[in-house]
Amino acid sequence: MLRQPLSRALALSSPARVAPLAARRYADAVPAQPEKVEVFIDDQPVHVLPGTTVLQAAAQVGVEIPRFCYHERLAVAGNCRMCLVEVEKSPKPVAACAMPVMKGMRVKTNSDLTRKAREGVMEFLLVNHPLDCPICDQGGECDLQDQSMAFGSDRSRFTDIHFSGKRAVEDKDVGPLIKTIMTRCIHCTRCIRFASEVAGVDDFGTTGRGTEMQVGTYVEKMFLSELSGNIIDLCPVGALTSKPYSFAARPWETRRIDSVDVLDPLGSNIVVATRTNEVLRILPRTNEEINEEWLSDKSRFACDGLKRQRLVTPMLKDSRGNLAPVEWEDAVVAAARALRDCPPDKLLAVAGGLADAEALVALKDLLNRLGSEHVCTEHYFPTQGAGTDLRSSYLLNTKIANVEDADFVLLIGTNTRFEAPLLNARIRKAFIHKETDVALVGPKVDLTYEYTHVGDSASIVKDFASGTSSHEVMKRLQQAKRPVVILGADQLKSEEGPALLAYTQELAHKLQENLQDKEWKVLNVLQRTASQVAALDIGYQPGVGQALAAGPKVVYLLGADSGVVTRESLPEDVTIIYQGHHGDVGASIADIVLPGAAYTEKRATYVNAEGRAQQTLVAVSPPGKAREDWKIIRALSEVLGAGLPYDTLDEVRDRLSQVSPALVAYGDVQPNNYFAQARALAQSLQKPVSGKLDVQLKQLEDFFMTDAISRASPTMAKCVQAVLKQKNSPY
Amino acid sequence: MLSSLRTGVKGLWRASSRALQTSSTLQHDSLFVHRDTPEDNPNIPFEFTEQNQKRVDALLAIYPEGHKRAAMIPLLDLAQRQNNGWLPISAMHKVAEILNLPRMRVYEVATFYTMFIRRPIGKYHVQVCTTTPCWLRGSDAVLNAIKEATGCEVGGNSPCGKFSLSEVECLGACVNAPMLQVNDDYYEDLTVEDTKEIIEKLKKDEKPLPGPRSGRFASEPLGGLTSLTEEPTGPGFGVQDGLKA
Amino acid sequence: MSAARQAIKVGTKNVRPVLSVNHGEAKRRVLNLYKAWYRQIPYLVKDYDMPKSEEQCREKLKEMFLNNKHVSDIRVIDMLVIKGQMELKEAVNLWKQKGHMMAYFKPTEEPKPKDFLSKFFSSNE
Repeated sequence: MLRQPLSRALALSSPARVAPLAARRYADAVPAQPEKVEVFIDDQPVHVLPGTTVLQAAAQVGVEIPRFCYHERLAVAGNCRMCLVEVEKSPKPVAACAMPVMKGMRVKTNSDLTRKAREGVMEFLLVNHPLDCPICDQGGECDLQDQSMAFGSDRSRFTDIHFSGKRAVEDKDVGPLIKTIMTRCIHCTRCIRFASEVAGVDDFGTTGRGTEMQVGTYVEKMFLSELSGNIIDLCPVGALTSKPYSFAARPWETRRIDSVDVLDPLGSNIVVATRTNEVLRILPRTNEEINEEWLSDKSRFACDGLKRQRLVTPMLKDSRGNLAPVEWEDAVVAAARALRDCPPDKLLAVAGGLADAEALVALKDLLNRLGSEHVCTEHYFPTQGAGTDLRSSYLLNTKIANVEDADFVLLIGTNTRFEAPLLNARIRKAFIHKETDVALVGPKVDLTYEYTHVGDSASIVKDFASGTSSHEVMKRLQQAKRPVVILGADQLKSEEGPALLAYTQELAHKLQENLQDKEWKVLNVLQRTASQVAALDIGYQPGVGQALAAGPKVVYLLGADSGVVTRESLPEDVTIIYQGHHGDVGASIADIVLPGAAYTEKRATYVNAEGRAQQTLVAVSPPGKAREDWKIIRALSEVLGAGLPYDTLDEVRDRLSQVSPALVAYGDVQPNNYFAQARALAQSLQKPVSGKLDVQLKQLEDFFMTDAISRASPTMAKCVQAVLKQKNSPY
Repeated sequence: MLSSLRTGVKGLWRASSRALQTSSTLQHDSLFVHRDTPEDNPNIPFEFTEQNQKRVDALLAIYPEGHKRAAMIPLLDLAQRQNNGWLPISAMHKVAEILNLPRMRVYEVATFYTMFIRRPIGKYHVQVCTTTPCWLRGSDAVLNAIKEATGCEVGGNSPCGKFSLSEVECLGACVNAPMLQVNDDYYEDLTVEDTKEIIEKLKKDEKPLPGPRSGRFASEPLGGLTSLTEEPTGPGFGVQDGLKA
Repeated sequence: MSAARQAIKVGTKNVRPVLSVNHGEAKRRVLNLYKAWYRQIPYLVKDYDMPKSEEQCREKLKEMFLNNKHVSDIRVIDMLVIKGQMELKEAVNLWKQKGHMMAYFKPTEEPKPKDFLSKFFSSNE
C-alpha cells in the first residue's frame, strides 16, 4: 500500500501533544473492501485491490522486480529507481514501487525499455560506488552485487577517474554495533526510514544535496536504539555492517541453523550462523506471529557471550574451598551423594531464566522421585487465588501479532521497550499506522511513542478495576472495541502483587464482557524470562522466598543466575549444586558445578510469553565436557538409584506431552480460556493497594546486560559504555 | 588540485602512467557534517530575542495544527538573521524544540539549502554571481577586485572578519550583469571601480546605494527603447471588418 | 506333491565341487596351505620387519586356521583355502605393507557403550 501519513512517526514523544479525542480515526474504522481491479503483468492477468503498487501486484504473480529502496515493512521512498518498468501507453518507464495500479494496466517487466532503464540505473549507482567488494563484509549477501550481475551492464563507462575521481564520503561513528563505510552508501534511505518508523529514534537523515548528499547523523551521535542492529540487515549494500562480525566470515562459509532466541520472553526466531563449531553471528528469521523480521540488539549481538565465561568441565570444591576441575564420574557421584544424604524436605531446586523445558521436567521428576516437591523458579508469581493453575493468568493472551489490531493499550508496570523490544515495536506500529493510543501506569519511561501517563501508583489500577476512576483513560478503555491490558510480571513480586493481579483480572474481565468481538482477549501478563512459562506449565512453584526460609540442606540451581539465591540466605552447612553454562552468579556460590549447554548447543524446547512452544536446534557442540542439561539430570538420577524413565530426547518429549500437550505443539499457540474463573477465584484478593509501581529496566544502558549470556558478552559491555558516553554528549 | 597535478605528471611520465584512483575533490564550500568549534557548538545557548519571539509566534500561527513543521524554513531564516547571518547548531536545536521535531529533521533542511550558512561569517556576506551571463560581462574582474579590496578568498572570511566572499550561481539578475549581492541587497551593472567603491563604503559601515550602477532604473535597455517605441494600438486592432461591431 | 518332490530333488542335488571332491582331498589342501604359510614365516618376519617373533607368528597362524575348524562344507573349505592362498601370495610378493601384516594381530575392539550412563560419561553423544 502507498505511504501512510507518518505524522505520528515524525513527532517527538511528549504526552502533552495528544490530539483531541474526537479527531481520531479508530483502528476499526476500515471502510468496506473496494472492488478489485485487473492488471496484466507480462500479459498474466492479476486481480488486486486499488491502491496496490505495481511491484506488489507483480509479486502476486511471482514476478520479482529488482529494488533497493523499497522494503515492504517501511514507507515507500521511490528514490533508487531500480524498480523502473515499462507500462503500456506510458511515455516513460515508471517506478513500480510507488505507482499504484490502474484498471487494465499492462506492465512489461522484461521488455527492452525496462532492461535498458535498469541497466542505466545500475550504471549510475556503480559510478558512485567503490568497487571494494573483496574487502566488503556484505560480499555474498549484497543486493547491489546480485542485481548488478542480474540486471547491470557488463562494462562501465566510468572514465572520470582522472578528473574528479570517485565520490567519497566520511565514515560515521554510530556506536559499537554498527560499522559504517558511507562511501558504499547508495542512498536508499532504508536505515533512515527504519529509525524513524520502527525504532522511533529519529537520528538518521540525509544532509547536503546533490553529489554531496550523505546519509548520517550530522553530529557525532550513537544510534541509541534497542533495535539498531536491524539496519545492518536492511542495508542493501555494505555501508552498514556488523562491527562485532566484521571481517569474520563470508556468508557461503557459514552453516545456518534455525533456532529460537531465549534472551527475552518473546522467543524471537533466529538463524545461527556457525563455522568451525563457533557461533559467528545471529540473524533474525521471519516469523510474522512473533518478530516479523526484526531482532533486538541483545538477541543479535550477545552471541559472543557464548564463548566467554563458559563452564567447560565439572568442578568440585576442594579442601581449600576452591573449585577444582574433576571428571564427570566424580562430580556426578558427589552430587548424587549430596542429594541422597539430604532429607527430602530439605531439598530445593531452583530453575533460572534460560532453562529449557526438557531440563525443567527432568529436574522436577528427579526431585519428585526423591520425595521432594520443592522445585521453584527464580521469578515470583502469586499463587493465591487461581495462581498458576489457570494458564490464562500468566500469558500474553492477546498474542503478539494481534496487538497490532488493538485500539487501546494499557501498560501496567512494564517497560515493554526493554523487557520485550519486539512487542514494543508492534505497539509502536499500531500507534503509527492504526491510531492506537497507549496509556501507562508506572514510572515514566521513553517508550518511543506518545502515551498518556496515568501515574505510578498501584491504586490507579484498583480505581480502574472498580470503575471509580474519573481519568480520561478510563473512558477510553470502556469505549475501546479491542483494548489490551499488559501487566508486567515484575510487579507481582511485592506484597501487593496478588491484589494487583486480581485488580488487573477484574479490569480485563469487565472490559472483555462489553466487547462485541468475543474472541478478543484483553488480559496479558508479560513474563521477564524465556523459561518462566514452561516452568509454570510443568508445575514449578514460582519464587524461592518460602523455600529459602525453610533452610534447605541441598540446593540444586538449574542455571539460576539472577542472584535471588545467595549464600547469606542459606544455612551454613548447605551444599549448592549448580548446573548451567556460564560462570556467573550461580556458579560462584556453588560447591559442585555441572557444566550444561547453552541454547545454541542443544535441541530444546522453550515456551514464549504467549505460551507458544518452540525449539532450538544444535548449532554448535557444547564446549569441553559440557553436556545437554536433561542428560545431566538423567545421569544423576541413575547414579542416585532413582533412574528417570527416559533415555532419548524423544522420550523426554513424550514425558513433556504427558505434562501438557502444549509443550510439544511446536509453533502453535492455544487460545486461553477460564478468564472468568480466574477472576472469580482472585476476587477475595482485592485488598487495598498503596504501593508505587517501578520497573527494573528504565534506560537503554539497563537493557544490554540482563542474563548470564549477555553479562559475559564483551559487545554488550561496550554498548553500555557507549550509551553512558552518549549520555554525557550534548547531542 | 591533485587531479591537475597528476595530469601534469602524466604528461611527463607517459611510459608507465597508470590510472590511480583517488577520491573526488570537495565540490562544495561547506561540510555536510557538523564539527564542534569554539564558535559553534551545542553548549553555546541560543534564544530568540523578545522581538523575534513575537515573530516566531506569528510565523507559527500561519500554519494549521499538525503542520507546524512547515514553519521550519522561516524560523531558521529568522534565527540566521538574529545571529549575524549564520546559523549555529544551537539555533537549529532551538528550532527543533519549538517545532517539537527530532533535531535530525532540522539538520536535513539546514544543510540542504545553500542560503543557510553554518559557519561564522563576516558582517557583510558578499556573493558574486559567476554564472555565464555575468562571467561574459566580466564577473572575474569583479571577483578579483573584491578579493583585493577585502583580502578574502572565495569561501572564506576577510582578515578583519568583516567580510565573507562566496561565488554563487545565477541570482536572476542577468540583464544587469555583472552583479553581486551583499546580505539582502543587489548591486548590479558593476565595473571594477563600482565594486571597489562598494567595498570601501562597507568598510566604513556606510550603506552603498543598491541597484544598477549604470544609471538604469531597473532592467530597461541602456540606451532607451529600441523596439515597441510606437504608440500601442488600441482594442480591435487587426480584427476583420465583419467582426467589428 | 510335485513341489515337494522338487524340493527333495534340489536338496539332494549333487553340487559342482570347487576344487575337492571329498573331505580327504580338502584336508590335504588345507594342510598344504598351512605348511606353505609355516615355511614363509621366517621370511615374512624379516621382510616386513614385524615386531613379532617367529614363535608368535606361528601361534597366530595356528589360531587363524583353528578359527575355522568348525567349517565342514567342502566348498566352503575350498573357498577359504583359495582366499588363504591369495593372502599368502600377496604377503610373499610384498604386495602387502607392514600394516596389513600387523592387522592379523589387531587388538580386540572396545565395544561401544550401550547404556545411558556409560554413554553420558564417555562422550557427548
